[in-house]
Amino acid sequence: MRLPLTVISGYLGAGKTTLINRLLAEDHGLRLMVLVNDFGAINIDAALIESRQDDTISLSNGCVCCTMGADLYMALGDALDRTPRPDHLVVEASGIADPAAIANAAIAEPDLSYAGIITLVDGLNGADLLHDPLIAPQVAQQIKAADLVLMTKSDAPSSDLSQALTEHGLRCPRALQGNAPIAPLLSDVVPRPMGRPTAAHPLYVQWNTDAPGKLTRTELQDRLSARPEGLYRVKGFVDGPDGMHEVHVVGKHVDIRNSVTQTPALVALGLSDRLTVEQIDNWWSGR
Amino acid sequence: MSEITVFAAQKIITMDPSRPVATHVAVQDGKILAVGGADCADVWGTVKHDNSLADQILMPGFVEGHAHMMAGSMWQFAYAGYHDRIDPTGKLHKGMTDIDAVVSRLRDYAASLPAGEPVVAWGFDPIFLPTERLNRSHLDSIADDRPVMVMFSNFHLMCVNSQCLDMVGYSRDSNVEGVLRDVNGEPTGELQEMAAMFPVMRRTGLDFRGLSQTPDAVRTYADVCRLAGVTTITDLFSHMEEEDLGILTQVTGQDEFGLRLVPVLAAVGATPQEIADKANTLSKQSTDKLRMGAVKLMTDGSIQGWTARVKWPGYVGGHPNGLWNTPPEQIFALCETMQANGVQMHIHVNGDEASSVSLDALEAASRAHPWPSARHVLQHCQMMGPDQFRRCQEMRVCTNIFSNHIWYFGDQHAALTIGEDRATRMDAARSALDAGVNVALHSDAPVTPLGPLFTAWCAVNRQTMSGRVLGEEQRITVDEALYAITLGAAYTLKLDGEIGSIESGKRADFAVLGQDPTIVDPMALKDVPVNGIVFGGKVQMN
Repeated sequence: MRLPLTVISGYLGAGKTTLINRLLAEDHGLRLMVLVNDFGAINIDAALIESRQDDTISLSNGCVCCTMGADLYMALGDALDRTPRPDHLVVEASGIADPAAIANAAIAEPDLSYAGIITLVDGLNGADLLHDPLIAPQVAQQIKAADLVLMTKSDAPSSDLSQALTEHGLRCPRALQGNAPIAPLLSDVVPRPMGRPTAAHPLYVQWNTDAPGKLTRTELQDRLSARPEGLYRVKGFVDGPDGMHEVHVVGKHVDIRNSVTQTPALVALGLSDRLTVEQIDNWWSGR
Repeated sequence: MSEITVFAAQKIITMDPSRPVATHVAVQDGKILAVGGADCADVWGTVKHDNSLADQILMPGFVEGHAHMMAGSMWQFAYAGYHDRIDPTGKLHKGMTDIDAVVSRLRDYAASLPAGEPVVAWGFDPIFLPTERLNRSHLDSIADDRPVMVMFSNFHLMCVNSQCLDMVGYSRDSNVEGVLRDVNGEPTGELQEMAAMFPVMRRTGLDFRGLSQTPDAVRTYADVCRLAGVTTITDLFSHMEEEDLGILTQVTGQDEFGLRLVPVLAAVGATPQEIADKANTLSKQSTDKLRMGAVKLMTDGSIQGWTARVKWPGYVGGHPNGLWNTPPEQIFALCETMQANGVQMHIHVNGDEASSVSLDALEAASRAHPWPSARHVLQHCQMMGPDQFRRCQEMRVCTNIFSNHIWYFGDQHAALTIGEDRATRMDAARSALDAGVNVALHSDAPVTPLGPLFTAWCAVNRQTMSGRVLGEEQRITVDEALYAITLGAAYTLKLDGEIGSIESGKRADFAVLGQDPTIVDPMALKDVPVNGIVFGGKVQMN
């Protein structure tokens, strides 16, 4: 099994650690491995902690949190070599990192699969950052590279933030609901019958089918490139005259490869403010 | 009392203003007992005269304030660079000036390896071989039955053979950024940046971890140093895990190990306070040959990679400004915490915006936590002008200037990165000295070869590879340059009370030279032979 990798990006103070704290404590049934820059602000309920070493905190729910030290790639190699291999790898990008560079490792490495970049934008401070000539290009790049942009610390962007985003040619982010579960942002696109049923999430609309039909690789490519705006993830297996294809779409990234799986199935998620289930269904059935 | 040895030399250049030259130096217990004539130590008791260095010129052992331990262990792989280089055994490797020469050298190397062993080379630099891009067919012709990988000199790119591409599934169907393709959509073999290189390196076991901190890496680092006359060197971005400290302590503690090693802790991967605490803990574990306690901050990238943060008017050719490796806010936070905890910092600054922000951060830190003797060091300082050097002087911030860049990249800087005007004032050692700033000069080995006399030559002559002089107003004198590679550098490591000059009380660490660098033609400074070192009073000839 390839190890899915999600990048959590965002400038200093955008709320990455808060998000990760929530993720580790949630009841999602996944053995997550989370690579963080440092344990400084990681705040795990003591009751959950099974053991703690220099660079690793093991949780009783099966999750592990590790500091990645100075070398991301060393940490990725260690994560891949870990037994048992985690269900999902979450990497906290440093406040300045271009998340695309990390995502690219997931795309390049055959044992990893790319599961998206989530960039957090500080709803209070974001406008100032986007106006700071020292730092604005790198902050804007983090937002540009994201498959999903979420706003923290505020429910609606201020007019300053909206304007700053527009000046950089960036879309307005969704607010991250305070009580919404976080894990589905990473992992709820597991096509049946492999995964458990997915829970409803206020950010998403979900669509799925057991009979995606037969398409050639080229037809499949064309279909996916014509996917509607706001379709965040598509994952599953589609049969064709040239064999079974594994389909994996995250945001802008499309991956099609040959597969030996026998059962076709397809799941898609769209952002609930931009897409309806009907629109997804219409797209796939070619209406 | 232990034995007193009096070394005779043709000339001793002491760097001690009270006695600039001498003919004899007396050594006891690894330290300098006295300096002067043949009778300089007679007052101390019975002496043993050693005339084995009587034909040699002695200088204080050179101090390299900015290098990396990989400089030694890279040589476990084949060299594929454009310039001549000398390996840790003293063997000269001729530079390869076209791709055919690279291929032919690596074919011989492959034949010398056990069957199936991956062929790994390093140091290739396409900037000097502009005719054709190295590609997979070149490397397939070296070997097609095992992985072949050529790492480029900047460590950001590599070229691999078809077997490597197959191993990781890079093909016309894959869509990985950094995997270069030819006009037919097939991968050329060139892989750009770590994300694309990582899968190949992981599968072939090419591990940069193994190039530092292993006993072999430490020992070959010492070999490289001895050949260059260096007796004290940094490893300037060291990760220093618990087991690393054990290895370093053990290897450097051996009697025959002739190098003072200054690992400088990378200020990443933990909170500023945790980093400061770790540095202070390490400091207490220092020995006479292993000196810890300082940290290194990264700020921007490199000028030749267009990733340095530069001020207006930016890069020529419309390249966008570079990237922060540490955001300015974090630079401020690190500076404040290190200053508050009494931790000396070495701060990487290539572009003038990076040095400006770092000076701002140091100024804020020094207002909050005054520490006049901190001796923080700006490293590289490539685009700093007199204004920034004056700020260094005001705040007693040291500079370690990347003079080797003038020769290796000066022509490119004038033509391609920051333009003629600013290139002529790059690595402005003259301005720094005139402002009254402490100056060291460095190689950043293995980025450029370790060789303080060559580095001094660069600062003195400012000649580029094309033979032109780049910024003659910024040249410094031979005496100034020799000071910079000894006491100047020792000062930046807070070791000037122990090393950097030949005067009584200091450690008996000398460079043994075949010619007097103060009387050769300044243009021949780089050719002064280094015949060995004396380390802690023990002679180690090359």
